[in-house]
Amino acid sequence: MWSTGKKTSLILSILLVAGALGYLALGNFGENLVYFVTPSEVRAFSAEQAQKKIRVAGMVVKKSIKTQADPVGLTFELTDGEATIPVVFQGIPPDLFKEGQGAVAEGHWRSDKIFHSKMIMAKHSEDYMPIEMKRAGVELPKKDFMKTLSP
Amino acid sequence: MIIEIGHFSVVVAWVLTLLGIGSSIAALRSRNADWVRVGRIAVTLTFVLLFVGMATLVYAFLMRDFSVLYVANNSNSKLPFFYTVAAVWGGHEGSLLLWAFILSSFSTLAVWLHWRTQPTIMPYLIAVESAVMLGFLSLIVFLSSPFARLVPTPLDGKDLNPLLQDPAMVMHPPMLYMGYVGFSIPFSFAMAALFSGRLGEEWIKVTQRWTIFAWLCLTTGILLGGYWAYYELGWGGYWGWDPVENASFMPWLVGTAYLHSVLVQEKRKMFKVWNLLLIIVTFSLSLIGTFLVRSGVLTSVHTFATDPERGLYILIFITTIIGTAFGALIIQSKKLKSQIEMDSFISRESVFLFNNLFFLVAAATVFLGTLYPLMVETLQGGKVTVGPPYYNAVFMPIALGLLFLMGIGPYIPWRKASASNLKKNFLVPLIAGLVTVVLLLVSGIHSLYALAGGFVVGFSGSAIFLDFGKISKLYANREHVNLFKGFLKAFSANQRRYSSLVTHIGVLILVIGIIASTIYQTEKVVSMKVGDTFSIADYEMKLLNIHEVEGKNWTAQEGVFEVTQDNEVITKLRPQKRVYTASQSPTTESAIHAINMGHIFLTMPDVSADGVAVARGVINPLILWVWGGGGIMGLGVLLNIFRPRRREE
Repeated sequence: MWSTGKKTSLILSILLVAGALGYLALGNFGENLVYFVTPSEVRAFSAEQAQKKIRVAGMVVKKSIKTQADPVGLTFELTDGEATIPVVFQGIPPDLFKEGQGAVAEGHWRSDKIFHSKMIMAKHSEDYMPIEMKRAGVELPKKDFMKTLSP
Repeated sequence: MIIEIGHFSVVVAWVLTLLGIGSSIAALRSRNADWVRVGRIAVTLTFVLLFVGMATLVYAFLMRDFSVLYVANNSNSKLPFFYTVAAVWGGHEGSLLLWAFILSSFSTLAVWLHWRTQPTIMPYLIAVESAVMLGFLSLIVFLSSPFARLVPTPLDGKDLNPLLQDPAMVMHPPMLYMGYVGFSIPFSFAMAALFSGRLGEEWIKVTQRWTIFAWLCLTTGILLGGYWAYYELGWGGYWGWDPVENASFMPWLVGTAYLHSVLVQEKRKMFKVWNLLLIIVTFSLSLIGTFLVRSGVLTSVHTFATDPERGLYILIFITTIIGTAFGALIIQSKKLKSQIEMDSFISRESVFLFNNLFFLVAAATVFLGTLYPLMVETLQGGKVTVGPPYYNAVFMPIALGLLFLMGIGPYIPWRKASASNLKKNFLVPLIAGLVTVVLLLVSGIHSLYALAGGFVVGFSGSAIFLDFGKISKLYANREHVNLFKGFLKAFSANQRRYSSLVTHIGVLILVIGIIASTIYQTEKVVSMKVGDTFSIADYEMKLLNIHEVEGKNWTAQEGVFEVTQDNEVITKLRPQKRVYTASQSPTTESAIHAINMGHIFLTMPDVSADGVAVARGVINPLILWVWGGGGIMGLGVLLNIFRPRRREE
């Protein structure tokens, strides 16, 4: 059977391990959060906000994609219908990444007023609008929205 | 006409699940065994009807009947036969039907299998299984029927998502669902134990094989998903902490904790409330996993259309199931006090305790990372995501801790370990672990995680092999046979224990593969023209030519790359950039060459009009150990399930 000392030492050690694991899980949680924003919000960023890694959701402006050979990548523009930002992307875009369709780019808004990204996500979407944008409050009627994208 | 038969069958099945619940309640009230028989008939007929439902949908796909909306959305006249069948679960509605079908086959099997031995449990089992079934069938019948017609009939279907046109994807969803659904059997028995007040160890013993079978299916499903992501998505990795991957990983983590902690209850009659809690959480997470994937609340490559009504329904359904389960547990928990308490801190019991602690923290981490974004969105309206670096940082130490415990648990005695016992069992493994670290250092490996991984793998691996060696020698001497026969005899004499150790060896091999292919992966992306060469690690890749190839439902540009090492040609790799005809959607097909237990992985994601190709080469050392380790884990579980029955069981 238990003596009180044993019980205490067991409970203490469980708490210790649980505490260490809890710290591990929660300690740097905040730093690892990446926020979704729209191009309009990016345009309104303060210098401090620009420090953090973010994901920008928008539509790829038609005829804006230009490929780069070295390092392999591309440049394009991302819009939410109100504001447009230039993106420099280094890497390989996903197969579904196309002009006139929704995409999400992860990276930093630098002082050169260009969004530098190393990861892009594209989505199959029936109405060509990524869920992120709907959630970001971009609820333009589809037709009007498509109009803003045409050159 | 055929598809209407399917629709009708599923509607009747829905009514029969109501009968199943009703008759079970009647059986419990009247104590009349006839009502249980009615329940059994209801469960069995539900299975038959859902089989008919599945068969008509498969038939519609085989006939390419595009007058059925679901077929039109997920198939095409040029879709190869093999994928036509897989397309049945390629979308939301069909995969729900598959879920329900698997659930009904398992419950029918369980009812017939345990009918004689568990008569008192039967009404509860039927009631719980039918209640879960009712939830899924309601969803199918009222909100997402795969049997709806499309008027007017289109000339051709929209085609199955090209990314799903892949052999691994044919098996991935069924395996995953069999895992999720498999946990419903121990869950139902646990509920039966709670409601009936028969709270002994019997429900655990009866469901032991079900549990590991479910675990095997879930593990296989997860690994298949990783394998698919590896060569089909073309990024050279197999796990991205995608919300949907996480959704399948959570029940796996808690399920793994459960199948370890039940051992403590079997042997020591402890952890009673805890085990009930774990199986409830495991099955709840299976349901939540399905909810997350099927409701469209998560953004991921896996999710289909968003439908708030459906999401709300699933949420209410899951809340009801989980709420009832936890309610019953709380009410009964007073009766569940362990008669025995722990003797010593240095004992197998406490190793299991920490094993559970680690697994649950891991699960909680994934839960937090996956659902925190949803909470933020609901409460603040912003959208946020938790990146892979977070999970990697948390999981590395947890995994190492678990692997270390893996070397201790099977060899530390129950109750209390003495100092001499510890020395006898763990001195050699400790030395083996340290030797591994020294060897790794000598061979130029300095990454902290690789060294720590080397230590725990050396420690736990040698502990297991020492055990195998010792026991083989013992049986060889006793039975006067050679060492190998001695090993076989020892193995079959205690197959449950040793098959588990085989699974542990698989885990260690898998972990070596993960560490090596994560830390020592090299990647290079270049743009090049025909005739150009690029080098990665000590391989040279020369682009010989790019030509057109044509498949049944796609066309592609194929690059032919000659791979050389020290001026010797190793192989030619042919990555493709495909365009699927029906949907006009492009995919990147990787080309892989296995070498030294690793992979040379090559994709050609883009070819421009002027002939400039983008190539991505990835060297993944020891990646075959990941899949090989997974295979050995599965072998261990199979040996466990199909072990000879022993008298005390």
